[in-house]
Amino acid sequence: MPGRGHHGSGPIVWAVIIATTCLLLLVFQKLLWLVVPFLLALILYYFLYPAVRALIYRGMSRHAAASLVTLAFLALLTVVGIALTPRVAGQMEVWQDTVTRYLHGGLQLLDNSLRSLEATWPTLASARLADTVATRLAQSAGSVADHLEPIAIGVAAWTPSLLLAPFLAYFFLRDGHRFKRFLSAAVPNAFFERTLFLLHEIDRTSRAYFQGLITLTALDTVTLAGGLWLLGIPGPLLLGLICAVLAWVPYVGSILGGLLVVLVAATDFHDTPGMAYWAIALFGVVRLLDDFVYMPLTVGKSLELHPLVTVLMIFVGGAVAGVSGLMLVLPVLGVVMVIGETIGVIVTDARLMARHRHALALRRKQASSDL
Amino acid sequence: MVNFFRPRKTSPRLERLHELSLFVDLTPAELQIVDGLLHERDYLEGEVIFDEGEEGQAIYIIAAGEVLISRQERGDAGRTVQPGGTEHAAVQPRRRQGDSGRVAQLGAGTFFGELALLDNSPRSAQARAASPCKLIVLFRDDFVRLLDTHARIASKISRQLACHLGTRLRDMALSVGAYHHLL
Repeated sequence: MPGRGHHGSGPIVWAVIIATTCLLLLVFQKLLWLVVPFLLALILYYFLYPAVRALIYRGMSRHAAASLVTLAFLALLTVVGIALTPRVAGQMEVWQDTVTRYLHGGLQLLDNSLRSLEATWPTLASARLADTVATRLAQSAGSVADHLEPIAIGVAAWTPSLLLAPFLAYFFLRDGHRFKRFLSAAVPNAFFERTLFLLHEIDRTSRAYFQGLITLTALDTVTLAGGLWLLGIPGPLLLGLICAVLAWVPYVGSILGGLLVVLVAATDFHDTPGMAYWAIALFGVVRLLDDFVYMPLTVGKSLELHPLVTVLMIFVGGAVAGVSGLMLVLPVLGVVMVIGETIGVIVTDARLMARHRHALALRRKQASSDL
Repeated sequence: MVNFFRPRKTSPRLERLHELSLFVDLTPAELQIVDGLLHERDYLEGEVIFDEGEEGQAIYIIAAGEVLISRQERGDAGRTVQPGGTEHAAVQPRRRQGDSGRVAQLGAGTFFGELALLDNSPRSAQARAASPCKLIVLFRDDFVRLLDTHARIASKISRQLACHLGTRLRDMALSVGAYHHLL
């Protein structure tokens, strides 16, 4: 059977796998309004699945367990929402000031760093690097309100689509097993056992990937929060969580997270510029830990991909479908890889193909027996 | 609320499942859970269900029709293979039908390919539909998950499986005169 790592898929199969992955990423980019809630629903499904399974262990039916867990999750969301809404509404104006303050702090740090570089290297000073960058930033940056407006409109436009996620997750939890039967029913007898194995492998890969992603996020959050707390930066847990979630988008997300931490450090400790550099160093250490320890132990292990293929495919995903491509490329590649390897094994198995042709001939003979 | 105290109604399909030897100990509620894991396949006369040497992934239960179990002849003359003995010897993958020998013809209610539920060993015989037949299939990974989620149901199925294997072992031992194994 096509257990990953056991079969050496040929170059043609791999070319088809990569081409299919790119094609799917292109299609998904056009259907982001559906793909994003679907992806969030999958994350939610794998997050809630252990609770559903625990209830099934205790003898509850799948329907009841799925309903109970989804309702409990929605109730928790509602309670948190109700508790936070007045606070968020009250803090809106303060937050706008805070964002402005952090942006100014970041710009100040950049300006100070460039001027100290100019003082060290006369070539940079003669190029008036700091002034040029400051002018460009002043031209491109408007008021915070100018930037918040499109973000607010974007959030409002995405809300109905995002509300689909818990709805989809509920049906995944309740009827996911039926989907497997539905798919396998359409498969010819000759390939039936292989297909069942394939579906099981896809389920296993997806489960391992998304549960790995959740574990990775928790590990990143705890490590970053611990480091930020040691440095004395305010709100370490929230900052750690935001950075860990941003890291779901490879490279781009990590850079954004790093910028966020540096902005906070540079603003809250503007009289000690060394703090920003400590924050950068901390972020670098966490990223190294993430890439070489956490990721291989969680997500990378689940997909069993060669590190070179992983990195190359992330670049390909970004080039083909931008940020959505960066985010989707690994799970899509994982699923396409399992399907591609299995189909490769089936179509190159002469005996299975012969059995399928024999079954078709028998069916044709039966259909035309009384003609 | 009143319905809660009424005995659970069984559908004709569940009654049919209950008649199968593998599921004979299961209650209607348990059958309903198992039913969610089963696949149904229809085969025409002469169609191959699985080949000798193929990696087994599932157990097959005959709901209707007949299935011929056959394996290639080997040099061990005088050896008798009992009905249902599809998977009790390690064999090399061999798939041609030209020199195959009939082992058994199984009818409705019986099952075959049962060792696939227990290990990854290759199929030791070929299964072919002897008449148009309907088979019920339980996939190994679904059975393994059942062991985790519904240990009671899985243990009842395992017991039937063990009884079946015990009967076969006894028959084999009697046929070769190895009575001390039965003690």
